[in-house]
Amino acid sequence: MIVLGFFLTAPMGIGYMEHKVLAHMQHRLGPMEAGGFHGWAQLVADGVKFIQKEDIIPKAADSWVFTLAPAVVMVPYIAIFAVIPFGRTLWAENLDIGIFYVLAITAISVIGILMAGWASANKFSLIGALRAAAQLIAYELPLILASVAVVMQAGTLSLVGISEAQHHYWYIFTQPVGFFIFIVASLAELTRPPFDMPIADSEIIFGAYTEYTGLKFAFFLLAEYGGIVAFSAIASVLFLGGYQGIPVIGHLIPGFFWMSGKVGALAFFIIWLRATYPRLREDQLQRFAWVALIPLALADIMVTGVVKVLVK
Amino acid sequence: MLSVLGQVSGGPAVAHGKLLFRPIGPELILVGVALAVMLLDAGYPERHHATLALLSLAGLAAAAAYSLSLWSWTGPTTVLGGMVAADRFTVFFRLVILGVAALAVLLSYQYLERADEVRGEYYPLLLFATAGMTLITAAADLIVVFLALEVLSLSLYLLTGFSFRRLASAEASMKYFLLGAFSSAFFLYGIALAYGATGTTNLAGIAHGLTGQVGPLSLALAASGLLAVGFGFKVAAVPFHMWAPDAYQGAPTCVTAFMSAGTKVAAFAAFLRVFDVAFSPLIWDWKPFVWILAALTMVVGSVLAIAQSDVKRMLAYSSVAHAGFILVGVTAASHAGIQAAMFYLAVYPAMILGAFGVVMVVSGRGERGLTLSSYAGLARRSPLVAAVLALLLLSLAGIPPTAGFIAKVAVFTAAIQSGHWPLALVGVLASVVAAFFYLRVIVLMYMQEPVIAGGQREAETGFDAEPGAVGSLGFVAIAVPALLTLIFGVFPGILFGVLKSASIIRF
Amino acid sequence: MSVQEITFVIIAVIGGVSAVRMVTSRNVVHAALYLVVTLAMVGAVYLVVAAEFLAWVQVLIYVGAIVVLLLFSLMLTKAPIGRDTLDNQQRGLAALVGMGVLAGLAFLIQDSFGGSKPITLHQATTEQVGVTLFRGFVWPFEVVSVLLLAALVGAVVIARKDDPAGSRRGPDRRAPLRRGSEATRR
Repeated sequence: MIVLGFFLTAPMGIGYMEHKVLAHMQHRLGPMEAGGFHGWAQLVADGVKFIQKEDIIPKAADSWVFTLAPAVVMVPYIAIFAVIPFGRTLWAENLDIGIFYVLAITAISVIGILMAGWASANKFSLIGALRAAAQLIAYELPLILASVAVVMQAGTLSLVGISEAQHHYWYIFTQPVGFFIFIVASLAELTRPPFDMPIADSEIIFGAYTEYTGLKFAFFLLAEYGGIVAFSAIASVLFLGGYQGIPVIGHLIPGFFWMSGKVGALAFFIIWLRATYPRLREDQLQRFAWVALIPLALADIMVTGVVKVLVK
Repeated sequence: MLSVLGQVSGGPAVAHGKLLFRPIGPELILVGVALAVMLLDAGYPERHHATLALLSLAGLAAAAAYSLSLWSWTGPTTVLGGMVAADRFTVFFRLVILGVAALAVLLSYQYLERADEVRGEYYPLLLFATAGMTLITAAADLIVVFLALEVLSLSLYLLTGFSFRRLASAEASMKYFLLGAFSSAFFLYGIALAYGATGTTNLAGIAHGLTGQVGPLSLALAASGLLAVGFGFKVAAVPFHMWAPDAYQGAPTCVTAFMSAGTKVAAFAAFLRVFDVAFSPLIWDWKPFVWILAALTMVVGSVLAIAQSDVKRMLAYSSVAHAGFILVGVTAASHAGIQAAMFYLAVYPAMILGAFGVVMVVSGRGERGLTLSSYAGLARRSPLVAAVLALLLLSLAGIPPTAGFIAKVAVFTAAIQSGHWPLALVGVLASVVAAFFYLRVIVLMYMQEPVIAGGQREAETGFDAEPGAVGSLGFVAIAVPALLTLIFGVFPGILFGVLKSASIIRF
Repeated sequence: MSVQEITFVIIAVIGGVSAVRMVTSRNVVHAALYLVVTLAMVGAVYLVVAAEFLAWVQVLIYVGAIVVLLLFSLMLTKAPIGRDTLDNQQRGLAALVGMGVLAGLAFLIQDSFGGSKPITLHQATTEQVGVTLFRGFVWPFEVVSVLLLAALVGAVVIARKDDPAGSRRGPDRRAPLRRGSEATRR
């Protein structure tokens, strides 16, 4: 229940955070009116707006694929939360193969994006979807490989197990390269700037989501923010010790707050990048994945393996 | 999550044993050298073609030397969790295949130079294919058989289409690929059913499981049938031979030489092991099937070869017919049968490789001059090449004193001993038919004037009368097989002596 | 019927229906999407028989990679929207073969396993799967890597369209993109 509640509220928080953080970074104030105090209810207002909007399905579109696509994009991100531990005993499911499950599930959302782009019967949508698919396939590999190094060090695939294994020190200190690769690949998986080629608004309107309106569009937005939370959470578990606190005062504060704090910090970092970096070009993006990240990740695995054997 | 879905209990025990890597040394060497060749090509793109070929040859030689050292292997009969067999059967076939590959490298060097299609990926692919072939002879588990089969097939699909700028090559590759993938599906289904029947994919395990089985055998029978179909495709037995003429004709001739010899040896080695070992408890059930396969293959292959006017196609059908003769040895399923089939599999590659080698040497750049008529009067233009081809053709036809004769006698004798005299009779008749088209080429070479079509002869055959034009490497590659057929024809005892211990399949 | 059996029936029906729809669908993208459902249901069957690792491998490889590539290549080449163009003349024959295979398999399985005792499931832990893979199946595992390498080399052979002699003399191999654009300009 808590996990479900977290999923339903956290993306809203992230959405609001994005509004405010971006605004402040650009010396604006962002939403200030809705709800009174610093526009806290802006996202609620947005939600109401989305519900009120007309739900348009283009005439040439393939209606049921078009309708199904937002759900296919969003469901995997909900499913991920089932295995993320928010505290030593605060998790919905402690799967033996937790991280593997997470990576398998995230792969599904690609299909949703392809469905959306194709069913819209719009060439910009299709281009956006193809870009998204190419990007997601390319960056899934470094994502998996970076996790493999962590799994090797922890000796378990279970997310709870990985968190427990970081009792003494966080893996960001032993796997800085892995952390870097993971964060970069996560950004690309989320098609967040600077990897937002698939929805590059100045070129292809809004990519696969161009034709969507109302609640369906809101689903995509929710999936995006849910994705930020999900990937921040996984990165926290893999590299930042999950619910483990820092040594001295760690046990004073419950694990849930440590975890939430780390997720929030990473989410902030992801939003920060949007305000900082320009968009990459498509070929640069592909080259970066295949020529830089994947070899780096493979080398990381090799070093981890060698060190593990030597230490043993 | 799972507790709802099923009763869960403790898992099966996992065996722990020391992993012995020595018996797969040859494959490791081959793959290692393939990687080295690839890196060399990537790192020094301006390197000489000869360096790559030499490195490949050195790798093959090293692998062969290593295989020889395994002849006296005294460790466990299977290693790596029962996946790989370490017996003399394996060593024998490995050496045959490595020899084939070495000759193919010589032919390829000349072919690629002439056709100006030197690309660094050629030799690695050839070595991968060779590794697949040698691995399949050592496979003691159906999974390894399948994977090795895939490694060799995949590499061969690519080699077949290697000169893809020539449309025939691309087409051949496509056909080979589609039918090959289809046959792999059959094979895989067979493995799945065999697992269903016995609960293991290990060959020894299957044999053991089938021996004690009392229940219905339909699953095992279906498995053996599907596996036979899969193997039938790979060895090009009728009615699964459709791909062979097209693939053989379209592929670069050096590749044709390699695959016609190598694939057949590898696939038959696995065929022998799977059927005469794993499915030996069902011998009376699969025998009629293979019997029919053998008879059909011999007859159809021989008859269709007569109608061909393209030399490569003719040799392709001849290779189909030879698959039938080898199947006769498999059908006998006795020790003598295995021994005869192995003898056949040692001399057949030499004959067919040499024959395709001559075809390559005689044909011109861009695969011209492949019609039978371009062989008219070859004896006058190049007596040595003609003599080599004549010898090889005589051997293919099974005429003494060549090795082909001994091989045929051996398989037919084995068949008669096992009580399959009708099959032997069919075989003899097919040989008589087959002799016709082999002799026709010899007659053309020796007793006819060269055809000169408007002074186009030179351009059409691309081959002039100078013996030096053959190229010394190419000549070695066709002379060695010819010599071997003669030696084993006159002194078959050498080979049979080796086979005495090599034909015992241990697992 | 146990919970497990009921779950299986539901999964089997969904998977079977979408498999049928996959072959009868005239829109190639719809067919691919039905394939997703079928493959996912196969994964679900693995879950039911407590092969958890295999189930997620199925999802990761088939749904996440293979079908995505399939869809990707379909959309990159031709994926008509709203038009039903897939058809061929051999529906009857295909149906016949399909039914034949179904009947044959049904007979085989019924004949071999019909009436035998239900098997108790062993849930294999990931650790056991790993040990099996890197102990007993270490050699097939290595062979697969060679197979994939050969396939990669093959992809390079087929995809590289440039002149073999030219590429060897290629002046700047570190900038393939620039070379590509030169080639198109030529």
